[in-house]
Amino acid sequence: MKAKFVLFVMIVGLLLAACGPQPAETVVTEAAPAEPAATEAPATEAPAEPAAPEMCMGAQPGDELTVMYVWSGAEEEKLNAIFKPLVDTCGIKIVAESTRDAAVVDTRVQSAPPDILFWPSTAPVDLYTDKLVPLDTVGGIAENYASYWLDLGTRDGKWLAVPVKADIKSIVWYSPAQFEAFGYEVPTTFEELDALVEKMVADGNVPWSMGMESGAATGWTGSDFIQDILLAQQGPEYVSKIISGEIPYNDAGVLQAYQTYYKWASDPKYTVGGAEGTLNTAFLDAIYKPFASPAEAMMVKQSGFAGGEIVKQFPNLVYGTDFDFFPFPGAKGMQGGADFMMVFGTSNATKAMVAYLTGPEGAANWAQAGFDLSPNKLAAGKYTDAQLAKKGEALANAAGFTPDIGDTIPAPFGEAEWKAIIEVLQGGDIQAALDKAAQAQAEALKK
Amino acid sequence: MKPFSRLNHILRNLPVHLALIIMCLLWILPTLGLFVTSFRSREAVRASGWWTILQREQQPGQAGYETYCASCHGPRGDALAEADLSDPALIAKYPRANRLLPVLKQEINGMPHLSDPALPENPKDALDTLTPIVTYLQTLSGESDQTARLTLRNYADALVGYKGTQDYITDCQQGTASALAKFRCDASDLLNPEGMGRAFINTLIVAIPSTILPVFFAALAAYAFAWMDFKGRQWLFAILVGLQIVPLQMTLVPIARLYVSLGMADTFLGIWLFHTGFGLPYAIYLMRNFIGGLPREMFESAYIDGANHWLVFLRMVLPLSLPAIASLGIFQFLWVWNDFLVAKVFLATHPVLTVQVTNLIDPRGGNWHILTGAAFLSFIIPMIVFFAFQRYFVRGLLAGSVKG
Repeated sequence: MKAKFVLFVMIVGLLLAACGPQPAETVVTEAAPAEPAATEAPATEAPAEPAAPEMCMGAQPGDELTVMYVWSGAEEEKLNAIFKPLVDTCGIKIVAESTRDAAVVDTRVQSAPPDILFWPSTAPVDLYTDKLVPLDTVGGIAENYASYWLDLGTRDGKWLAVPVKADIKSIVWYSPAQFEAFGYEVPTTFEELDALVEKMVADGNVPWSMGMESGAATGWTGSDFIQDILLAQQGPEYVSKIISGEIPYNDAGVLQAYQTYYKWASDPKYTVGGAEGTLNTAFLDAIYKPFASPAEAMMVKQSGFAGGEIVKQFPNLVYGTDFDFFPFPGAKGMQGGADFMMVFGTSNATKAMVAYLTGPEGAANWAQAGFDLSPNKLAAGKYTDAQLAKKGEALANAAGFTPDIGDTIPAPFGEAEWKAIIEVLQGGDIQAALDKAAQAQAEALKK
Repeated sequence: MKPFSRLNHILRNLPVHLALIIMCLLWILPTLGLFVTSFRSREAVRASGWWTILQREQQPGQAGYETYCASCHGPRGDALAEADLSDPALIAKYPRANRLLPVLKQEINGMPHLSDPALPENPKDALDTLTPIVTYLQTLSGESDQTARLTLRNYADALVGYKGTQDYITDCQQGTASALAKFRCDASDLLNPEGMGRAFINTLIVAIPSTILPVFFAALAAYAFAWMDFKGRQWLFAILVGLQIVPLQMTLVPIARLYVSLGMADTFLGIWLFHTGFGLPYAIYLMRNFIGGLPREMFESAYIDGANHWLVFLRMVLPLSLPAIASLGIFQFLWVWNDFLVAKVFLATHPVLTVQVTNLIDPRGGNWHILTGAAFLSFIIPMIVFFAFQRYFVRGLLAGSVKG
């Protein structure tokens, strides 16, 4: 029995092997056109339209546009909804690839660069400065962006990256219903926040949920928190000077911010689980705690994305009543992060996409799709979702914008900063931890 | 004496058996958890762990309900028609105790809502009292009913590549616009390019030739290295075996460039050749040791009878080295099946199972109830291969180590 079976496997194997190369080619030729079924429909519709409109920049129906981005799952769906009007009008085919792996991006850029790359930082601008195409030469409209956004993507006077999606970080999430039950008021200054926190502790409530576990990236939640304290205690100028290296990371102002943070993040009266809880609670779980039943904390300081995570976890909670956010009290500036668009191609389809996203239609569609915020000025007032509208307002009204320190200074410093936070929470001396981080800051900024 | 010796035998082996059983349990437990989770609905996954499926619904708020509410609303909550607590629509308005508290503070017909007994004055104590009652009311009204049910919808979502906020079957039944834009809601959705169904076919197209090609070529090369005399044979063999140390990751960029210039980027042919190339050194090494161990006399008599190399290879070597071919094939097949990096880099537009799984989940780790179904779909074939060919695994492990 066994021998027969094995013989059979072998014969089949040999037969397949003998005619291996031939099916190879038929499969390839068959599979290639069948694959983009999702984009096929627009391609067949396109010829029905008389002449290609202006927004296509000369792109012909059937032109391919290769894009790479980090988004997947539901986020990718939103992106496709934003692309759809352009795809439908011009009949271009979008060949998309989603990856979170910088090594895959590197392989692509070295062999066959995508026409357009979307990346959550401007790191590729420094890596591929020579390969990138200045955006103003491919239809990018600079006047739709605030100057601080343009500065982030400009190298040697060349405009190489434009933010397409932004998220604000200097906000605190809370439950209005819970605040009402206890008679708490939303604080507007840092002193009021401090007083509110003390009042919550006096009432026997835990004010903060500060959990920050995030695998190898543990520490970023704490880093955001400390930057907000810095923005409140010292202001955006001070933060910018840390980023540029003019102020060392072991300065007295930073020390003061760390002391405030340590007081809140290490005591079980102030945060869920004390220092242990801060270090070991996953940042996603920390978001849920103030909104769980029963509520384990009163507030969680987390970026704008937290709103989406709360509804996903608790679909019956209502924005505005069960959960809402307020700007970090007293912060003289808004901390935020963004996803940038960078361009390697110069085809007409590429130009059409760049012009679309940096222009009015792209801004409006981005706002309506509800894919976080669009830094494009023309997106203001176009948000259909109340939560996003409020976030958009908070971003537009911010006194100043500071990028996340960790995202901006080269990686070794960001990691040193995280390490300092973890060390402090583990009971280490704050000054000693900051001295080490300051050393990493000096080395990272030395060129 | 015999019973005692048996008892001794059992006792002697007991630690080994216990260790084995514990290790098996440790290995099986996470998989079992994943398996159970893959049949639970999105809401259930969110609300509780998989080990709770056999537990009966606990009703911690029942005592509180009977103290505060039952006297007016009745034991089932439906005594007052104007405030029917068994109505899910009413209960859905009060997802948390902090939403219920203001309502209870309002007076009803000029009387306090709750008087006998009254709620604690302190808001914290009041919320602590109300929280279990709210949970109980949700159970009573059937609001949280579906949490216990098992479902196949995760598998349906994974197969078609559904990424929305409900699930594929519900969306199709309701005719949601976003679903209809992407799906036809019939059997053809199984081949949706974003689903696991299509990825399954892609993986088969990748894995079968990527297994057969290196095994076949390795058998030919191994025969040559073992039984054909040519100059520099040992050196060539040493170099080939040495090539095993070249890390695959180092070659990604050069080969990607080569493929782009040859027009082979993103083709199945490209990935077959890549897997063949990287499978060959080890395959040749293993096959040569096996074929070299066959009895010399057999080959000599065959040559004397006038057989050429090709005939000897086809009629003698291949049938005799079947165990080695089978075990090598299994290893190569499983390696290719589980490969993520090579497929990610060289076959971006025809995602295989491993790549498709990462496309299904959100970057921050959301949507993972689909992941459970997707994970099971992706290891059905490896499981079949493993159980059907178990015995060859052991032979494969020994094949290279013990030279006959």
